[in-house]
Amino acid sequence: MRLHPGIRVAAVVAATALLAAGCSSSGDDDTSSTPSAGSTEKAEKVDLTFWTWAPGMDEVVAAWNAANPDIQVTVNKQDGGDPAVTKLLTAIKAGSGAPDLMQTEYQKIPTLVAADALADISGSVDPSIAGHFADGTWQSVTLGSDAVYGIPQDSGPMEFYYREDIFKKYDLQVPTTWAEYADVATKLHEADPKAYLGTFSATDAGWFTGLTQQAGASWWGINGDAWSVDIDSAASQKVASYWGDLVEKGVIDNKPMYTPEWNAALNDGTQAGWVSAIWAPGVLQGNAADTQGKWRMAPMPQWNAGDNATGNWGGSATSVTSQSTHVEAATKFATWMNTSQEAVNILVAKGGLYPADLPAQAEALSAPPAFFPNQPDFYTTATDIAKSVQPFTYGPNVNVAFSAYNDEFGKAAESKKASAFLTALTAMQTATVDDLKNSGFTVDE
Amino acid sequence: MTATLAPTQPPVVVRATTGATGPTNKRSTLSTVVLLVGAAYCLLPVAWVLVASTKSASELFSTFTFTPSTHLWENIQDLSAYRGGLFWRWMANTALYAGVGALLSVIVSAMAGFGLAKFTFAGKKAIFNLILAGVLVPGVVLAIPQYLLLAQVGLTNTYWSVLLPSIISPYGIYLARIYSAASVPDDVLEAARTDGAGEARIFTRIAVPMMVPGLVTVFLFQFVAIWNNFMLPYIMLGNDRLFPITVGLSGLLNQGASQPAMYTAVITGALLSIIPLVALFLLLQRYWQVDLAAGAVKA
Amino acid sequence: MTVQTPPRARVRRRGRFAPYVYLAPAMTLFTLFLALPIGYAIYLSFRTVKVSGLGLGKGARTEVWAGFDNYVRSLTDPDFIASVVRVGFYGLVLVPTMLGLALLFALLLDSRRTRARGFSRVSIFLPYAVPAVIASLLWGFLYLPRVSPFYYVFDKIGWDAPDILSSQWVLFAIANIGLWGGVGFNMIVIYTALKAIPTELYEAARLDGASEVAIALRIKIPVVTPSLILTFLFSMIATLQVFAEPMTLKPLTNTISSTWSPLMKVYRDAFTRDDIYSAAATSVIIAVATFALSFGFLRLVQRRAFSQENS
Repeated sequence: MRLHPGIRVAAVVAATALLAAGCSSSGDDDTSSTPSAGSTEKAEKVDLTFWTWAPGMDEVVAAWNAANPDIQVTVNKQDGGDPAVTKLLTAIKAGSGAPDLMQTEYQKIPTLVAADALADISGSVDPSIAGHFADGTWQSVTLGSDAVYGIPQDSGPMEFYYREDIFKKYDLQVPTTWAEYADVATKLHEADPKAYLGTFSATDAGWFTGLTQQAGASWWGINGDAWSVDIDSAASQKVASYWGDLVEKGVIDNKPMYTPEWNAALNDGTQAGWVSAIWAPGVLQGNAADTQGKWRMAPMPQWNAGDNATGNWGGSATSVTSQSTHVEAATKFATWMNTSQEAVNILVAKGGLYPADLPAQAEALSAPPAFFPNQPDFYTTATDIAKSVQPFTYGPNVNVAFSAYNDEFGKAAESKKASAFLTALTAMQTATVDDLKNSGFTVDE
Repeated sequence: MTATLAPTQPPVVVRATTGATGPTNKRSTLSTVVLLVGAAYCLLPVAWVLVASTKSASELFSTFTFTPSTHLWENIQDLSAYRGGLFWRWMANTALYAGVGALLSVIVSAMAGFGLAKFTFAGKKAIFNLILAGVLVPGVVLAIPQYLLLAQVGLTNTYWSVLLPSIISPYGIYLARIYSAASVPDDVLEAARTDGAGEARIFTRIAVPMMVPGLVTVFLFQFVAIWNNFMLPYIMLGNDRLFPITVGLSGLLNQGASQPAMYTAVITGALLSIIPLVALFLLLQRYWQVDLAAGAVKA
Repeated sequence: MTVQTPPRARVRRRGRFAPYVYLAPAMTLFTLFLALPIGYAIYLSFRTVKVSGLGLGKGARTEVWAGFDNYVRSLTDPDFIASVVRVGFYGLVLVPTMLGLALLFALLLDSRRTRARGFSRVSIFLPYAVPAVIASLLWGFLYLPRVSPFYYVFDKIGWDAPDILSSQWVLFAIANIGLWGGVGFNMIVIYTALKAIPTELYEAARLDGASEVAIALRIKIPVVTPSLILTFLFSMIATLQVFAEPMTLKPLTNTISSTWSPLMKVYRDAFTRDDIYSAAATSVIIAVATFALSFGFLRLVQRRAFSQENS
């Protein structure tokens, strides 16, 4: 065949590649049979796949694999957050392709349970585990029932981070109430028109949820067999109009977080504060490494002086999927990863996570994060704050509500009008309720 | 006329003169400048990526954009070290998907294009229109149904799940049809048939060699299309060791709220991923001919 | 299946199945990976999921027949209608600009009086090598005022430039990325057609003393019109399907909603809302509309594009 020489070469490459492709194994084929529970024979080798995006997982899993030759775990790193959930749901719908273990953010667990994506591991899990976690955290994985849908891994109690050096420069006091926060924001912006105490991010629904959580809101609720939606409750409205006011006055920025612009602002101090969660040191380290040691963490401003409440932003559990054929083995691994001292130490060191497991916290959090050498009691303060996380119930259509948040508050933030913020909240409520009804849920109005 | 696609001459030498030969043979600065402005506009983001990948993470957001730094090698090393050299595995995957996928696509397209161009048969128009209608369907729409269908045969999350759907290319068939029509004369085929040659021989020994320049173009276009494809591998693959670069780099950006996006890694990775394609462009310039309407111009 | 052999058949009787053999691989793959998924999507568009009780646990969700509900909901959705109008405007802005520039660059490349042709050709074609997701990220860095070299320069010269990602201008920001990525490819298409023009066609004109511009307008452009039409068609289709650029820019700004373009709405429904049924219905609507718009073009163009064959 008089083929162009380039095509001849390509054909050889292709043939080799096809051979290689044929020989490669897909990620989640199991090559052995399930070990029978409670048998005294040596268990056959089990291969588990684990979809996650938290850093440090490779090290934790390596430690487990070394000690447990009969249960080998492979980490498949996914895109963080929604994309991974979508892939999992698609695989569940398709009937194949789902991993054995999945990192599940707390707010996504009701959605996943509703889609029958998670296995109930209450039969395989050690009943004493429940005592390792705070009530609110444990409830996130049981949804108030007897079933257990995952082992909590970390949580994200919220605090206020600020640039100590900038506060000193402009003689600002650390705010303890939201009224004080507004004052400090105004003072800072007047002193330096380029600087802001923070920004209202219309792309971070989790952040806003945590703020309303602190104010006492709970966007979903269960009444018997019906769901209720209370996104535009008085507490949420209070939070929305508070921030809308600050944005309208121009003392708080209206641009999204986690953009190159925001990163640059963290670096040069034009974002002098950040209402964030316990995992903030890792983000600040990654985005603004040069500002190490200049930040300090304080409890969140409160609505009333003397109150002690905070919200939660982020945090996930490790769940076993309903397609897994090795529920026992997977539960064993998940339990070890999230409650054993060895694993928790690695998670904290490599992943910057704040572990949900209470007994393991003391040792794992003995030193402050590298980014906060100036605050040796960082974790002591944080642990106190973590105790004040308010309850919050997530519903089966969190994604819809969060997507509506992006769109509606994006418009509001762009318009810089406080009234638009309240309109946005109402629009979120409508969209969420409509979606529930469309899906056939009974909604308590 | 059809000189552009003559298999035995490099297509660039179509005409000895591409412009004026007479007294108006002066250089025009205006046209040169306009083209160079266009070139600058197109090169700007590439220049940016080049400069940005020389910066360390802390410099990326604190120095002026076009001030180069000296950390390119470090960045490449960090990127290579990420999870045990995963980035280079992504590169290899991408080469596999694009190389094998484009090759198979060329074979299928060449056959289909030849069949459509050189034969008359019932349903020809309908089939061709049907194939072209495939261009109208965006990948986003197809992704989930394709996944659900492949899951039935347990092929998801494998190399095949990305390769197989990439082979069918309505645009490639369209181009192959045009090239077949333009570069394979009917009389040659008739002569071969009269001599008793079978269809397989006619196709592989006569038609394909004549179509080769056009087929190389089809290969290149499909190669680039698969190389740059995001949606299909994104949906099909859960095992990150099978990712192509597009999906892998997007994952580095989307680390979830509690982790910083790895901008430096993404930027360095983007630079490294552009280089092979640029090399391909530069080396195979004469094959970048897209004659959509060959033969519409008759001498 | 019987094949009628027309009087001027080019196929001998014993080879009458040959064309089907040639088409077999393509048709098989087409059926498997295009027709079947599309069919399945159409099927899904008439279904929906209903839950019982709290919707948690096994068996709480069942797929049921929904009739045209999904279609009605899509067509009456103000967000969807807005996205269609927006994308129409986007196409009006992008396609003429892109093709106009592609034509201009191709003509300049075809003129002997232009220097640095090789360098310019490769440079302008280069963006084709960059995937849309990466391109949008790069341009994102160039757009965001705080990190953009443009705004740095604007600041220095004292011009308070508008934020290109503000709601007024964001459509142009996205169109620019599309332009940047597409102008090179279209330029090559038109340039290929230009190079195929026989010199005899304008030797006469040149001897008569016609200027290069006149030759371009009077001879070159009319002759490459078929290519222009086809690139217009393909560009139009690609424009209606704009997705990657707005999706990538979305996290950087407040001004791009999750339903900015029709395909983004499909993505949101399918992936974020886990409502593949609604997404399928919207996709069918988009596909039908695109097909309707292209149908006229295809009919018009087929004859001019395929005069080389005998069919």
